[in-house]
Amino acid sequence: MSDFIPLDVINGGARGRKFEWDTARAPTEDYHDAVLQLEKEGEWEVQRVPEPYIEVNTRYGRVKRIPIERTWHHKSCGQCGHIPGYSTSIYWLNRKLGLDYLDPKDQTSCTAWNYYASATSNPAAQASVAMRNFAAAAETDYFPIIHCGTSFGHYKEVRHELIHHHELRRKVRDVLSRLGKKLVMPEEIVHYSEWVHVMRHRFAELQTIDMSHITATVHPACHYHKLEAEDAIYDPEIYGAQRTAVITGTLQAIGVNVADYSSWYDCCGFGFRHILVSRDFSRSFAVQRKIEVMKEEVNPDVTVTHDTGCVTTLDQSQFAGQAHDRKVGIPVMSDSQMAALAMGAHPYKVLQLHWHNTNNKPFLEKLGIDQAQKWAEFEAACDKLKSGEKKYLTWEDADA
Amino acid sequence: MRMPSSDILVIGGGPAGIQAARGIADLGYKAIVVEKRDRLGGMPDEAGYAALTPDMRDTGEAIAEMVAPILDNPGVELRFGTTATACTGVAGDFNVTLQKADGAAEDICVGSVIICTGFKHFDPGRETQQYGYYQYDDVITLVDCERMLKAKNFVRPSNGEVPERVCFIQCVGSRDRQIGNEYCSKVCCGVASKEAIEIRQQVPGCRVFVFYIDMRMYGYWENEIYWPAQEKYKVNYVKGIATEVVRKGDKLIVKGEDTTLRRPMEVPMDMVILSVGMEPSEGTEAMAKVFGVKQNKYRFIETIGGALDTVSTTVSGIFAAGACTGPADLEDSTSSGGAAAMKAIACVRKANTQIPA
Amino acid sequence: MEFPLDLSGSAYRDVPFEEKERLLDEVKSDLRFQDVMYGCYECGICVAACPSARFYDFSPRVIAQAVAREDADLVYTLMNDSIWDCSQCFSCDRCPRANSPGGLITIMREVAVNNALQTARKALEGYERIIYKIMSTGTQVSPDMLQPDAFPDWGTHVHEIADNLEIWRRALPPETLHTTETGWSIDDKTIIELYLIWHMTGVMDMIKGVDEGLFMILVDVMEERLEEAGYDVEFE
Repeated sequence: MSDFIPLDVINGGARGRKFEWDTARAPTEDYHDAVLQLEKEGEWEVQRVPEPYIEVNTRYGRVKRIPIERTWHHKSCGQCGHIPGYSTSIYWLNRKLGLDYLDPKDQTSCTAWNYYASATSNPAAQASVAMRNFAAAAETDYFPIIHCGTSFGHYKEVRHELIHHHELRRKVRDVLSRLGKKLVMPEEIVHYSEWVHVMRHRFAELQTIDMSHITATVHPACHYHKLEAEDAIYDPEIYGAQRTAVITGTLQAIGVNVADYSSWYDCCGFGFRHILVSRDFSRSFAVQRKIEVMKEEVNPDVTVTHDTGCVTTLDQSQFAGQAHDRKVGIPVMSDSQMAALAMGAHPYKVLQLHWHNTNNKPFLEKLGIDQAQKWAEFEAACDKLKSGEKKYLTWEDADA
Repeated sequence: MRMPSSDILVIGGGPAGIQAARGIADLGYKAIVVEKRDRLGGMPDEAGYAALTPDMRDTGEAIAEMVAPILDNPGVELRFGTTATACTGVAGDFNVTLQKADGAAEDICVGSVIICTGFKHFDPGRETQQYGYYQYDDVITLVDCERMLKAKNFVRPSNGEVPERVCFIQCVGSRDRQIGNEYCSKVCCGVASKEAIEIRQQVPGCRVFVFYIDMRMYGYWENEIYWPAQEKYKVNYVKGIATEVVRKGDKLIVKGEDTTLRRPMEVPMDMVILSVGMEPSEGTEAMAKVFGVKQNKYRFIETIGGALDTVSTTVSGIFAAGACTGPADLEDSTSSGGAAAMKAIACVRKANTQIPA
Repeated sequence: MEFPLDLSGSAYRDVPFEEKERLLDEVKSDLRFQDVMYGCYECGICVAACPSARFYDFSPRVIAQAVAREDADLVYTLMNDSIWDCSQCFSCDRCPRANSPGGLITIMREVAVNNALQTARKALEGYERIIYKIMSTGTQVSPDMLQPDAFPDWGTHVHEIADNLEIWRRALPPETLHTTETGWSIDDKTIIELYLIWHMTGVMDMIKGVDEGLFMILVDVMEERLEEAGYDVEFE
């Protein structure tokens, strides 16, 4: 052991190093310029981010505008289908803050799950689906906010293709005009977790459940920060802007201790086709490369992510892992569910945790939530549906 | 009519500038050297290199030898703590404003200018490269490593322990379209290999790995550094670059592919040294603007003669030498410093014969 | 899918070289190609980040390099024996050359589907119901797909969901989530628009090549609903 650590010799060490952006050296074109230029040329209309918005920095320090309200919620297949408390929590957060939002029925899937899984599609079809949804949003004058990480990433791919290939634009414009729709590109393509991120301090103000004794790990979704990587949110205060700031920023705002683990950058193992027809791969990867690594290194109370596929894979894969005596057992939630929980949302009526797989009861108990009581409340509500006393559980019931 | 000046302004007192000034004085002309620091020697001195590549000479000793001929030389006027802030005029008759750190300005007349403002080291945290430079104390750069080697104290910055496994990651900030630096920085393969040898000399028990894409050890660097590193010092060269550096316990884990074995690898390391490339220095960018010379897409000063003229810029009478024109090793810098001195003298001689007194 | 992957070029000796070249040309002529493939110096960054490389004999570097070399034999082998292992996570987008091996594979898969290669048919075995779901309903997965026989490895809670499906869906406060056959409720007009997109962009032709039966079923469903909506559209 040396008695002298030469930190002064090497510029004060890592902790003394400071990250600074220089947008002038951003190596990519600024999509804002391209999108607005095409508007000038009459190629499409641009739907502006409604005011008031919050400005954040993206990977190269450029500014992205995130809307606060008048949002058009572009739903996710897997969230709505298999983990519906995910999207329910997003709406609940909007309602809690009294924000105006729209949950449209004039919306299809982006169909990108299938595009990446089976390749039974093509750029014109994908771009037409995207632009149909964007046109539907623009018609309502609400601004699209994308629930799914894959939809978010894929729509950015589509934007890139449309910007650079006029023949594709022409084709898609023809398709849309046949549907009686205009070509409208949103000024920003916004992921819901970016909205959660910019609203995090307001959530913290309304927080009722202390989370300061909770340790969480974060899994950033590949299609959020790797696919068309530029316009994900980064913040020098969070990992020195070396990793995306979403999720981590939200968790820190509600007092959760975010713990680092060595496979944070790894994919969850979803694989698109694998999760449906080659699940041995997804299970092995999720358990061995993600869950076990988290468990061994930091043993978190919960792991938090921000995409459909990641919640599904990380959560569902643990059942088989347990059967094989692997080190598993970490509840998996979305940032929207965590924020809602911190603000006192019902774990079953709002977070709908009964759709999740891994045992989350110890986590709820650690938060001081009487989960048995909460489950009884949910069952009582279901009994009313069963007896025909009520047709549906309403937002009022959810908060009752 | 004012007499055109035959003096030549050299901006920057590093290897290229020193060599240019020396050449100008040796040929009977006067060099005015402005240097924003308070001493000569340029980056090798400023960054504290331990030994020079490839001959492993002690940097301090070699720089002192270079500097000696222009100290107390009547043909060289040294102005420290000074920068150029404005320039008017044409080749043979430039009026340049010089400014001291305290703001005091002075205009001088010169016949020609040689810009030798060099490079800066790439900041490996800037581009979210996932090498953890801002996160982990044990991730350092070639420059940090030089300083530790110079201090003869090569230990893990996190805990002061002597490292048992150390690796270099090559091409950090170079050859990367996503960062926007598509060029090769030319010296890092040699410098890393030189440092690898020095680590093996200072800490014989430490295994040293170099993760690389291609080892670019041209000319004598091959036999003077690369082969000895492999054969005598048993440095391990692995073809495959790292994707990320993470921490696991008190070790760093380097994730990459061993392309020879065609498999992903995850290897524990005590220290990781990032072989950072070159970018134009702030001084280079500032001088390009002051003198109106064109910069290339990487913001180095553009030379217009291709392979046949490495020092002429887009402005007649303004020359550039060394790493301000692009990645350059010491040999390149001193050679182009000399070439620029010759061109600058030719320029003032021509101007003096054309403009009547 | 093969282990170990045979890269010798002899695996498909019986396929004419011209056919392999034609498929490679089809990959290269795709409009996305210029953004996904520049050149490759085999640094391996893509492999280290690749989840599939950990569990299969799969290498995004080999795929990128094969295409960069325009080695039609090797590309054909990879198109048959390797590309369906990719996770499409785009971790490989960190490529310093700005290649996207994942994006390249998207194109190669499409070419495999468009040409009805055996590998595409095989890769999509068991996946037909998903294609049916997304193309006919506009959502990829639905609550009623959560059946124990479909997800035996997801454990007992799938039973519980299946048993309580209808009530639990009605116990969701958002009105759009009361569905069981689709992820959320979608307007009829919206679905019609989706069918028209499939029709106008040639997607159904791709389905026909790899799964004639699925194609027939989809056509029946779509033509009927389109007709009801006043569109006279034929998918042939």
